[in-house]
Parts: sequence; structure tokens; C-alpha cells
Amino acid sequence: MQNIIIGQYVPGQSFIHKLDPRAKLITAFLFVIIVFLANNWITYALLGAFTLLAIFVSRLPLRYIYNGLKPILLVIILTFLLHVFLTKEGPLLFDWGFLEIYEGGVKQGVFISLRLLFLIMITSLLTLTTTPIDITVGIETLLGPMKKVGLPVHEFALMMSIALRFIPTLLEETEKIMKAQSARGAQFSSGPIKERLKSIVPLLVPLFVSAFKRAEDLAMAMEARGYRGGEGRTSIRLLKWSGKDTTLFVILLLLCISLLLLRS
Amino acid sequence: MDITIKGLEHSYSKGTPFERKALSNINLSIPSGTFQTIIGHTGSGKSTLIQHLNGLLKPTQGSIQIGDFKIQAGVKEKRLKALRKHVGIVFQYPEHQLFEETIEKDILFGPLNFGVPEEEAKKRAARLIQQVGLDESYLSRSPFDLSGGQMRRVAIAGVLAMKPSILILDEPTAGLDPRGRREIMDLFYRLHEEEGLTTILVTHSMEDAARFSDDILIMEKGGIALQGGPETIFSNPEALKKLSLDVPETVQFIHRLEERFTKNLPHSVFTLEAAVDAALSILQKGEENS
Repeated sequence: MQNIIIGQYVPGQSFIHKLDPRAKLITAFLFVIIVFLANNWITYALLGAFTLLAIFVSRLPLRYIYNGLKPILLVIILTFLLHVFLTKEGPLLFDWGFLEIYEGGVKQGVFISLRLLFLIMITSLLTLTTTPIDITVGIETLLGPMKKVGLPVHEFALMMSIALRFIPTLLEETEKIMKAQSARGAQFSSGPIKERLKSIVPLLVPLFVSAFKRAEDLAMAMEARGYRGGEGRTSIRLLKWSGKDTTLFVILLLLCISLLLLRS
Repeated sequence: MDITIKGLEHSYSKGTPFERKALSNINLSIPSGTFQTIIGHTGSGKSTLIQHLNGLLKPTQGSIQIGDFKIQAGVKEKRLKALRKHVGIVFQYPEHQLFEETIEKDILFGPLNFGVPEEEAKKRAARLIQQVGLDESYLSRSPFDLSGGQMRRVAIAGVLAMKPSILILDEPTAGLDPRGRREIMDLFYRLHEEEGLTTILVTHSMEDAARFSDDILIMEKGGIALQGGPETIFSNPEALKKLSLDVPETVQFIHRLEERFTKNLPHSVFTLEAAVDAALSILQKGEENS
């Protein structure tokens, strides 16, 4: 339960923590795009340097980054192996009968795995250094112009913040129900697979019941306090663009230009 | 089964920035058949402590001995399920654990998990549903059609159906009306007496603590602040006040009677009836004197 990193904010006072969430969101978004510009060793090295620098500046314990990577590690390894064995380019490196490894394959494998690695690292850095509420406010302001074309931006943002807000609550609830059922002899973490699958029902039913009840209560409480959607609603959190954010954009721009110049 | 806790310590989320020490250096022994009450403010570590007693939480330091089961920091106990059969926990708001289509099936969940034959388990369910104050016609109904108080009773029956020899109650009457509270607590006490259970009650109610306990444990900030029989604990209101806890109303009443009439009264007066008797004895003596 405790390894789940999505939406898990780690408090801190670093440069990255203090950035405007809009700046971080745009950076993460642009980074996802410019990652695809890299196509040789030097450009990948640049991206790697940017990622490592960001992690270093955030002063997060490396363990957190690693925890975020763990679930995706298998995918990365699998991608690597697929490329190594299936890409047939460049000089032949090994030949064990039916298994042939080409230099192009290894290169491709390393590049694609690095690409995935950088993507995951930068996006988890975003959620690790920004509170869910800040992310939501950021998204809401960034998507603000879309309101004009009738997109219910506020409602989306609200849904997101409620969902994020209730992740820990639901986890806590899950843990509580698991404990109550374990005390009645249910087995969640040991025993034969069949038993463990069956034990999902005593966990899910109470969880759903309480989630629905909670949703109803929340809706009622919001209405009781006069909530009526986004119309004319202002936010208590005012985002402030500072020099730091501009610095980040300059760095990003430099990175982008270097990538364009250095790619082959 | 005797319970012996030695040097117990527990930290949540160990090894993360969210690490929080919930218990430190707890030493406690609860002989078989005791009614042990645990009192303390929210966050004092009561719930954490009781969850160690059937291996739901593992100690980060120290050990817990229950009968011949031993749970030790860093050692994996393989017989947890067997242990849980002996230690029943009624959690806070136990109605949140209901999940089956019918009340009977829900009550059977525990016993069947622990290998009780279905016939026997059904017999237990039929008896227990009456003991908790509902009648047998409820057995075939859905637990989700009941009122909150009734759901609580069904959930409690579900734990009792396991026939534990140690019964742990984590604020079992929170959110019930006064009558429901009394009925449920009386049921637990009757079971405690009749079946010779070891009962561990976590509560905020000084009245319940005074009425039922053989021994009271007061926790603060993850440690033991005070421990002793109800007479000892409640004869020292200053110590309780320091922990911002109250003495039961009956005890307060007796103390004030003593002050007012400068007479010594027995300090083991915890029920309303006994308090009335004590007051009457003063009045009668007063009449005799005049």
C-alpha cells in the first residue's frame, strides 16, 4: 500500500518545489515532446543531464524516484530486450544460431529505454514536488481559455482535485477494511491464489458502499455551503509567475535549441 | 491466554519522510480472564497497540507473547491465522466490514474462514443474532437494509461467532444512542463473565471504564501514563486532570458529598445505583443523629 507514488507529494523547499505549477506542467508537457528529438548519444546525454540536474535540484531522496520507476521497470527491460533482439541494423555483434544481436539493436534498445526512463522521472518529479491542489489549479488556469468553447474546465478540475484528494482516504479505508476482514480470517497476502482472489469480494463491497456514501455526503455538504459550479468562482490560490519560472523556461529553450542543433 | 508485551515499539511508514513513532517502550501484562480497559486521547496509540495483539501490525521493536504465540520484531510468525482465531477484534465502526448478501452469511464469514463446520457455524449465528438483540428472522435479510445501530450489532455478532478467547473492543459503542450503548456494553460484560473471556476495551467513556474494568491503562503520546485498578486510578483526580481526563460523574459526586459532609465514603462506587446508596446512607445517618 505504501509504495504507491501517484499523487504522492513530498514536501520540500527546493527550487523545483517553489516553481509555479503552470511552469512545471508546461515543462513536463514540452519535455515529453522534445524527448523525441533526441536521436544520438550526445542528445541523449543532454536530456539525461537535464533530468539528473532536475532531480538533484529537487533534493528528493533518490529512493522516491526509484519507487516511482519500480512498477515500470519491467516494461523498460522488456522494451530493451525486444529492440535488442528484433532490430537488425548495423554490424553483427553476436550470433548464437537463432539469436542474432546487431549493434543497431543495442543502440536502439538503450535509446528507447532511456527515453522511457527520462519521461517517467520527469513526470514523477512533477507530482512529487507539486501538491495535487497546485497541479489542479495549474491545469485549470492553463485550460481556462477553453471555457470559451464550452469545455467545462472548472468541473474537470474539481473532479480531478476530488479524485486526488480521496486517494489517500480510500487507501486508508482499504487498509482498515483489510484489517477488519483479516481479523475475521480472510487472507490477502498469503495462501493459495484462489483464496486470495476470493478475498477481494469482502474488501471491494464495503469499499464501494463507503465510497458511494462518502460521495453523497460530500455532494450534500458542498450544496449546503452554496456550491453551484464554476460560474463566477474565484480561486483562493493565486498563482504567481516569478523569475524562477522564467529561468526554467530559458533553460528549457536552450535545451530545445541544443537538441535541434545536435541531433543527427 | 495470558498476554505479555515487552519493550514494544512501533513506527508508521518507517524509512520515509512520513515516519511517525506511534508506540514506544510499552511493557504490559494482561493475565487471562482480565477486563482490561485502555483510555487515551486520539492519537495516543491505543488503536496501534491493540492491532499488535493479533498480528495486524508488526512491532518495530520488542515482542508480544499471547498464550504460546510469540510475535517478535523482525521475525515472521507463520501461524498468524491460528492466532487470529483466538483473538477477535471489534473495530471502530465495525458495520463498515459488512459485505455479504444476507446477515447470516456475513456472520458465518469468520467461523468458516477458521474451519468451523457449517452446521455448527449456523447454530452459532442463530444464537448470536438473538444475543445482540435482533431476532432470527433477520438472518435472511440483507445487512444493507438495516439501520446503523442494527448493522453494528450484526457486525459484532460476526466477530463473536469466531468464539475468540480474547476479545478486543475498539470503541464499540461510538455513535450509538445511550440505550444501545448500555445494551452492547452489558452484552460484552455478560460474555466476559460467562465465557471467561479476556476482554480489552478501548474507550473514551470513564463511566464504562469505572464500571467494568479490573485494570485500567491510560496512554499518552505512545506510552503508558498511568496504570492500576479503577479505585486507584480514580482516587487521584489531579493526575487525571494533568492528562486532561475526567473522573466518572459518580466518583465526582462521591467526592463532593465527602467534602460537603466531611465523611469518608467507600471509593469503589462506580455505578449510579451504588452512588444513590452511598448518598442515602449519609441521609439516613443524618436523620438518626438529629
